[in-house]
Amino acid sequence: MIQFLQQLINGLSIGSIYALMAVGYSLVYSIMNFSNFAHGSVIMLGAYFGFFALTGLNLPFFAAFMVACIGTTILAIVIERVAYKPLRERQAPFLYFIISAMGASILLENLVIATIGPTFRTYPPIFERTPLYIGSLAIGRLDLMMFIISAICLAGLLLFINKTKMGKAIQAASYNIKACALMGINTDRIILIVFGLGGFLAGVAGVFFGMKYTVYPQIGNITTKSFIAAVFGGLGSLPGAVIGSIILGVLETLVAGYISSQYRDLIAFVILIGVLIFRPTGIMGKSTVDKA
Amino acid sequence: MKKVLIGLMLVISMVFISCGGSGKGNTIKVGWFGALTGDQAVWGENELNTVKMLFEEYNAAGGIDVGGKKYKLEVIGYDNKGDAQEAVNVTKRLTGQDKVVAILGPNASGNAIPIAPILEQAKVPDIATVATNPKVTVLDGKVKPYNFRVCFIDPYQGAVAAGYAYDRLGARKAAILYDVSDDYSQGLREFFKLNFEKKGGTIVADESFNGGDVDFRPQLSKIKATNPDIIFMPYFFKEVALSANQARDLGIKQVLMGGDGWPSDQLISMGGKAVEGCYFVNHLDYADPAVQDYKTRYKAKYGKETELNGYLVHDAVLVLVAGLQKAGKVNGEALAKALEGIEVQGITGKINISPETHNPEGKDAAIEKIVNGQYVFQERYAAQ
Amino acid sequence: MDWSYIQGILMLAGINLIAVLGLSLLTGFTGLFSFGHAGFMAIGAYIGALMTASPNSTPAGLGLPFFVGIIAGGAAAGIVGYLIGRITLNLKGDYFCIATLGFGEAIRLILNNVQTFGGSRGWPGIPYKSTLPTIIIVDVLAVIFLANIVHSRHGRNMVAVREEELAAQVTGINVFKSKMTALVISAVYAGIAGVFFAHYMTFIQPKMFSMNKSTELTIIVIFGGLGSISGSVLGALVLTALPELLRTFDIWRLVFYGAAVILIMISRPRGLMGGMELTPAGIRKVKAERKARQAAKASLMALNEPEEGAGLGEGKGA
Repeated sequence: MIQFLQQLINGLSIGSIYALMAVGYSLVYSIMNFSNFAHGSVIMLGAYFGFFALTGLNLPFFAAFMVACIGTTILAIVIERVAYKPLRERQAPFLYFIISAMGASILLENLVIATIGPTFRTYPPIFERTPLYIGSLAIGRLDLMMFIISAICLAGLLLFINKTKMGKAIQAASYNIKACALMGINTDRIILIVFGLGGFLAGVAGVFFGMKYTVYPQIGNITTKSFIAAVFGGLGSLPGAVIGSIILGVLETLVAGYISSQYRDLIAFVILIGVLIFRPTGIMGKSTVDKA
Repeated sequence: MKKVLIGLMLVISMVFISCGGSGKGNTIKVGWFGALTGDQAVWGENELNTVKMLFEEYNAAGGIDVGGKKYKLEVIGYDNKGDAQEAVNVTKRLTGQDKVVAILGPNASGNAIPIAPILEQAKVPDIATVATNPKVTVLDGKVKPYNFRVCFIDPYQGAVAAGYAYDRLGARKAAILYDVSDDYSQGLREFFKLNFEKKGGTIVADESFNGGDVDFRPQLSKIKATNPDIIFMPYFFKEVALSANQARDLGIKQVLMGGDGWPSDQLISMGGKAVEGCYFVNHLDYADPAVQDYKTRYKAKYGKETELNGYLVHDAVLVLVAGLQKAGKVNGEALAKALEGIEVQGITGKINISPETHNPEGKDAAIEKIVNGQYVFQERYAAQ
Repeated sequence: MDWSYIQGILMLAGINLIAVLGLSLLTGFTGLFSFGHAGFMAIGAYIGALMTASPNSTPAGLGLPFFVGIIAGGAAAGIVGYLIGRITLNLKGDYFCIATLGFGEAIRLILNNVQTFGGSRGWPGIPYKSTLPTIIIVDVLAVIFLANIVHSRHGRNMVAVREEELAAQVTGINVFKSKMTALVISAVYAGIAGVFFAHYMTFIQPKMFSMNKSTELTIIVIFGGLGSISGSVLGALVLTALPELLRTFDIWRLVFYGAAVILIMISRPRGLMGGMELTPAGIRKVKAERKARQAAKASLMALNEPEEGAGLGEGKGA
């Protein structure tokens, strides 16, 4: 029982990392209808921004955190302007966006290797390492922190989208961006804001990832998992992305803990695909109504 | 379209320009390849830097004497991302176009194995650094004529780790955590398991993760429940540091043990207290006076500490130079012949390349313990 | 430049081309995006190796001739493709993507764990059988076969599915069957490419068939241009050679590679050869289209001029 609870905690903490990454994916997807594979690289650079702000500029943690988030916000917007806007203007099919995104992610990862170097870097200790104990259950302080931050970010995002005028416009754009433009909404600005928000979240995810798992140029690869989680939860749905991530994290943990760590990903994938067969748009996905 | 074409033409013309400068009469061209990008880049960069430094030193001293003539050494280094397909490409480039006399590296067995037919065709020997899979030099009982290495092999290292854990540390129940997608990790795990069970120990948990994973708590929680005497972690230091920290967070107090993927200053800085009191198998003793000179030279030149690969590529260079001098001429075929049975005192120990296996024979492993953030040499330990 | 080096790159380009042609049918003509084609290549490579490797080596093979390996590898990939298709082809867009990604990773995970094939330590000692002439012959056959499919009713059905699935269904096209045909054929192509790859490298390892390999193939297809066979040929040649050509840039080369991919996407939004073919008929078509466009422009101008002239004339008249 103790072991089961411990595994559950492990799963929740892994899931909340996935969630931080997946929300950014889903946000961009909801407007642009393509999976932004450059998101992982933005997260990676967020981790580096935070690291250098802390160690190079000797900023206090919160300031470094903001530097990282602002840096990734700008970066995400620049990527949008350079790699996606020309495609958008030509109304290219989603495949081109994906390839352009992959190009951007190859470029950024290798740019980091060529300039900063391939070595792993460790964040200076910010939170105490010793976990909190409830009986013999160990809960990492950073995990707890991450869980809370994920929740705050998500709540803030939902509030922004549901309560503000700009948020309403984003919602409208995600429903039908062309009609939106006809209604006099500046869709170009909407897209900019969405990428900015996605970038900001990537910064948050990057700093936390870096603190927990060190910083290295290949961080972006781990975001494949959060992409899967986002799809599983239902692409374009923010609560879906979070729920999908938590489920994936817990599922992986339980499979590794109780069935087989060798075949963990295989079994997790089979279950996910099984779910997709019965719910083809994920748990909370926009149901795509065919235009009959 | 035009712009793209012009761009391509530019690239192609640059390639041709770069091909123009072929070696002069008194330069020996030596190839190196390994990962300068991708997740193995830390080690690749370290190897190439070491080779460059040593060659510069040789050249500053007037070059090396081969068959009564002084030659300068020149390294041509290529990146292969740690990818086997690119390993084949660059080997073809090094042997065919750059006409190197020998190749140093690569560090990964998966990259050293597929290049064998090309080496044989071009008659260019390769001295691998830390490619520990037995099949790098011997395949189905036959030794590959142009593949050599300066490190010990997986079965040996696995036997050393298992023997030391059982005999010296008194462990009877061992748990293993390994990287299922990595050939090095799977090799060590296999031979550790084999030898530990042969000695009479039991493997109480045999868990794995998938390359690129960063969270090992599910597996570690499972291992904790089996209450082993020791946990064997045969993978590289980044994952070691992460998994060691996570193990301590979960309240796992057991001694951890690993192989030659562990040694790095980054293990100490990332792992901190979590790896205190742990043991690993190494190629050399860091405190050995013989290695201090290289260590300080590297630090002085590049401003950072060398990794383990640097020591081995250092010895690969020594073996290469000794081989060239023994051959008496700059020729790949003669060099390969000369390398067989060669004896060189390297910084990682005495290297005696066996003609039967092309491995350094009788090279004892060093056992190191981490005490107060320092690597403390325990003993030279040979597996029985 | 040295011939053996160039030959090696050409062979790799030829091997990639086989897989790319198959993927082009799936992605370019049918509009399905796959992240798992390296999985089919892996199946082909391992089944091919199982057929041809010597029975005395470890891991042991059956010691059969190379062409048996090609057929078995292609067939095995096709069968697996069919089974995967049964399960996943009803999924749409990114959901299908994820399913194929999962498939590719699953194949790799299984191969990593199966010790009879060498696990992650790989399978060395596969006989060297892929030669440039055989690869070229297979490439040519693959192109001819693909061109025939594309110009058949099946091919037109696939394009219809790509353009508008629902409309295709309404006109009586069996959408599922069209998708399935494309998937199975592309799987067979990838499998055969895998066999050639294994017998070129003489060593295979699950690591070689990672998601990066799948995305590399997809990048080639889209780089070459959706719905264009000659685009795929051109794409395979250019993109296989590009990392080698960029070698002079040292560790910067992949930065340039990434930049080149973005550049071609934003400057030629339909890929190098999107929708066009480098055949006499294709060139004639493009020329005709250009002429038609010019004619249209000319007639538009002609239409505008008399109006102006008429206006002036009227003014004069008044």
